[in-house]
Amino acid sequence: MADRSDDVTRRRLLRDGLWGACLAGVGGVVGFAAQKGRKTDLLWQIDPYKCIACGNCATHCVLEDSAVKCMHVHAICGYCRICFGFFDPEPFELTEGAENQICPTGAIERKFVEDPYYEYNIDESLCNGCGKCVKTCNAFGNGSLFLQVQHDRCVNCNQCAIAAACPSQAFQRVPADNPYLLKSVDHA
Amino acid sequence: MLHVREIFVVLVAMLALSVVASGLERFPPPEFETDYVRPTTTVPHPRQDVWEYIDAGVLLAALGLAAYLVLRRRSRNATFVLMVFSLAYFGFFRKGCVCSIGAIQNIALTAFDPSYAVPITVVIFFALPLVFTLFFGRVFCGAVCPLGAIQDAVLIHPVKVPRWLENGLRSIAYLYLGAGVLLAATGCMFIICRYDPFVGFFRLGANWNLLVLGGCLLLIGLFVGRPYCRFLCPYGVILRQFSRLSRWRVSITPTECIQCRLCEDACPFGAIRKPTEKWPASEYKVAKRRLTCLLVLLPILVGAGGWAGHELRPWLAQAHPQVRLAQRIYLEENDPAAGTTDASDAFRATGRPNAELYAEAAQIRGRFAIGGALLGGFIGLVIGGKLLSLSVKRRRTDYEADPASCVACGRCYAYCPKEHERLTQKKTTAVAHG
Amino acid sequence: MTDTVKETSNSGTGVACRTASMTAKVAGFFSIVFLGLLVANFIGTSVIGLRRENQLTEMKIQLQAEGGSEEKLAEIRELDVQIRHDRLWRLAFARKSSFALLGSVVLFVIAGKLASVLGQQPPRPQHAPDVGAEQIGEARRSRWGVTAGMVVLAATMGAGIYFGGPPDFAQAKETGPSYASMEEKREQWHRFRGPGGGGISVFANIPMQWDGETGQGILWKTPVPLLGHNSPVVWKERIFLSGATEAKREVYCFDATSGKLLWTGDVPTTPAVAEAEMDVMEDTGYSASTLATDGRRVYAIFVTGDIAAFDFNGRRLWHKNLGIPDSAYGYASSLETYQDRVIIQYDQGDGTEGKSRLYALDGRSGQVVWQTPREEVPNSWTSPIIVDVEGKPQLITVTDPWTLGYNPEDGKEIWRAESVTGDVAPSPIYAGGLIMAVEPYSQMVAVRPTGQGDVTETHIAWRMEEGAPDICCPVGNDKYVYLLDGSGLLLCCDVTNGEIVYEHDLRDNFMASPSIAAGKLFLLSEEGVMYIAEVGPEYKEVGKCELGERCHASPAFVDGRIYIRGTEHLYCIGQATSEAAK
Repeated sequence: MADRSDDVTRRRLLRDGLWGACLAGVGGVVGFAAQKGRKTDLLWQIDPYKCIACGNCATHCVLEDSAVKCMHVHAICGYCRICFGFFDPEPFELTEGAENQICPTGAIERKFVEDPYYEYNIDESLCNGCGKCVKTCNAFGNGSLFLQVQHDRCVNCNQCAIAAACPSQAFQRVPADNPYLLKSVDHA
Repeated sequence: MLHVREIFVVLVAMLALSVVASGLERFPPPEFETDYVRPTTTVPHPRQDVWEYIDAGVLLAALGLAAYLVLRRRSRNATFVLMVFSLAYFGFFRKGCVCSIGAIQNIALTAFDPSYAVPITVVIFFALPLVFTLFFGRVFCGAVCPLGAIQDAVLIHPVKVPRWLENGLRSIAYLYLGAGVLLAATGCMFIICRYDPFVGFFRLGANWNLLVLGGCLLLIGLFVGRPYCRFLCPYGVILRQFSRLSRWRVSITPTECIQCRLCEDACPFGAIRKPTEKWPASEYKVAKRRLTCLLVLLPILVGAGGWAGHELRPWLAQAHPQVRLAQRIYLEENDPAAGTTDASDAFRATGRPNAELYAEAAQIRGRFAIGGALLGGFIGLVIGGKLLSLSVKRRRTDYEADPASCVACGRCYAYCPKEHERLTQKKTTAVAHG
Repeated sequence: MTDTVKETSNSGTGVACRTASMTAKVAGFFSIVFLGLLVANFIGTSVIGLRRENQLTEMKIQLQAEGGSEEKLAEIRELDVQIRHDRLWRLAFARKSSFALLGSVVLFVIAGKLASVLGQQPPRPQHAPDVGAEQIGEARRSRWGVTAGMVVLAATMGAGIYFGGPPDFAQAKETGPSYASMEEKREQWHRFRGPGGGGISVFANIPMQWDGETGQGILWKTPVPLLGHNSPVVWKERIFLSGATEAKREVYCFDATSGKLLWTGDVPTTPAVAEAEMDVMEDTGYSASTLATDGRRVYAIFVTGDIAAFDFNGRRLWHKNLGIPDSAYGYASSLETYQDRVIIQYDQGDGTEGKSRLYALDGRSGQVVWQTPREEVPNSWTSPIIVDVEGKPQLITVTDPWTLGYNPEDGKEIWRAESVTGDVAPSPIYAGGLIMAVEPYSQMVAVRPTGQGDVTETHIAWRMEEGAPDICCPVGNDKYVYLLDGSGLLLCCDVTNGEIVYEHDLRDNFMASPSIAAGKLFLLSEEGVMYIAEVGPEYKEVGKCELGERCHASPAFVDGRIYIRGTEHLYCIGQATSEAAK
């Protein structure tokens, strides 16, 4: 009988010890993670200088309507009459007909400003994030068009499905207080 | 074709000062004569930070409420309502991300990657359920976890899973945990998130494969209770061990067990354990021998597992995109017939020498040499431990909810006559007082 | 709720249970219907949508090829509108159906749960079996189950270990430098007029007898698909050429032994070029610039300003357009390579706009390593050369009016001398320690490349002002330098002072530049006749071989072989096996 109760107290001690160790373990993990001091959430962004406009952004996003859209920085744009992001590489004519545009959804709007300059804007509701305009703008133009994750659409998955499929590994996490990586004029 | 000549002249004029560098402006910024102002780039804002803290607060409240409802109030209905609320809030409203299960990977990554700092709310999501489990058992699983909730919700006609199958399948969860931690820590990918079967439903959209996986699990879940929780959930592995040590836990009877056997088939998740009988003497001898063998076998299993994991590092390392890229570049350099891929084209365009890429990939492989050994050893330990635990004689006198497997849903309370006594007593005292 | 279940288990719940059960079945049916709709929508997007997109692309290609009519354009636009409208419609449909599906599934679940709860039977435990035996049996079966799982896992891991992994890049440790050294280049013909651009071959076993009509001495001849005036470039077992038309630009690789066309590389261009509709002189053509290789990659540039790099297996590594060059006769400067970079002399304009530049691009990625602007330099048709001056490499260019020496490492100018003017086409050479620059129809200037800064007053050794060729480059050794002009006048000058040693009129037309190999002078006429003469103070002809095809490009000389590009074919003059072991 005494044997049994000793057994029981030994077992209880072991159990309590393990319990304390587990609690301390959790506390330790919390402390270690917390001391790195990240207070804000982390969001996904594409590094526009690494992006090769492969087209995965349109197909791999978990959302039916991809959270990645094309953005335009007008400060970099050359306002060319023959915009390489707007027109097909071999346009039939320089008109805005569907057969001459490179964008499959017609999301780029072309507005005459003054001779010979035209303004180009993206209609986000039509853009599907395929990057065809980005590829040609980077190859032949000023590179003012680029693909970027839009935070009002992005669900911020812990593992971004597009990031996993990106061939140039252009996706990175950025803190929520500086949530956008945009192209700038001074980039070398 | 007048306008073509126009264009040519314009182009040549614009190319006059063109600078050819990687991506820099080929066409100079236009000087506008009219008073046209360039539009500035507007960006849509992300979700407010404060929501993250609200989520953490809701988690804390839900956990506390769950513990109270299951252990103190002992009300299945109230627990069910809380579960539906958790499904709606953490599931469909928050789209199931970030969840406590996935948070394991964030913690693993922050431990091994100095450049990654996990947001404090994710740490809270990881730690809070663990702490509550240490005190109250798996109340998180029963009423708060949205993945558990969705499975529990579709359970219409529970079918019993034979014990041997249950034990075998449960080992998959350990493997999943080990693999998830390894791949997260080496910076490959968060596989727990990638293969999360129910997030497709929470988001109302996912790729085809994920929806099929989730759909199959839910269809199975119509009959087999909580298949993901029992056989796949990596977080559940940790919760099981913690729950064994918990201060307070679910007890089927509020007072004492009268061995009426009415609760034997009450649990749809197979968590109720019968009282144990004495073994015949021959059995004890056999069991002792078996136990000794297994104790000797355990370190061998750990060692063999560790060795196997170490040897498998070329396969494991493939999970990392840099290693895959290095292999692709190597293949292309040596096989003239091989075409290029987007990834290899992108790499070549950066101008970095191949040797640098190979060195990086070799370093990653080195990490997998250690990580693979640890994973293999862990699996060996799990298998050995499982076999050992199946050879040990338990001592139970009452019908109990297995502390590791019980998900604190409260279904079994209704089956216990003592519970009914308690409820009737409560009613009469209420009537007497009011 | 459970109490009420116990009390009313027999009477009213029968109806409630049945209703719930029926609702569940109906909701389940609707769920399947909505699921079916979603699946159909998904298939529609992927199959039909894809088919339509392919159709649109085909129609666009057809439009380019056959030209357009109003109906065709209208057709294309209609199809495009249909595709876009479809996409948006499908997105909206998917959203609505998924909400409907969610709703019906929720209803199904609620009804199902109600049905199961209402229809619940009170527990009826069976007669207790031998619990002890049951538990032992359970434990035993579980152990076997776990063991079985372990065996499966071990087998998988074993198979993985046995079959090894994918090829290990760790074997690729010692791949060597990513470019050929100057010594290696000396034994090949890696650019226009060979190493150093001097048209001089180090080999002594050059064939001197062949006949195009009988085929004697000719190992093989292969047709070249597109016309181009660029000269063959040879690296070990490969010969590279390019050809182009207004619409296409191609790079060719031939096998040195069999003459087979191994691969054709395509070089794309930009929409600006397509729109510009460049008008190019026939004598220049669309691919006048000779290619260059660094022993690992081959580079080609065209009159449109398109430049591309290919590896020796024909894979295009990168391509760029440097902007359409403003060149009066069409861009014709050939390329040079330095280590793993390609050097481009991009002279354009009239010298007042500052458009001219010297580029060095990284061979592997095409990125600009350095670029040096050349103010006051107008368009030119000479090619740069890299020579060894006092143990250090120097990049020499000749234009109007400067001859410049640069450091090829960083593109910085070392010296400049005001030497020749006009439309300069003959490229410089380095002979007898002097850089020879030629001014068409006028003079040849010899400059010592050992100075710094403006050396016009100090480092010009001599000027020979008796007339000079307009196209062909000079060729010389440390004793004599030879000038060949387009109408056949061969001038031999003393390298030390520029004095004319002899003049000889060959009475034939020449576009290819002269070369020296095995101590002989090789002069290839436009008719395809190779005049072979002694290198010495007087003209002594030792051979005259007719190819039977017109030739504009300069020949390439390697170990035991001569490669000549005619207007239609590439010829290999030599024996099947070379004498020196390679």
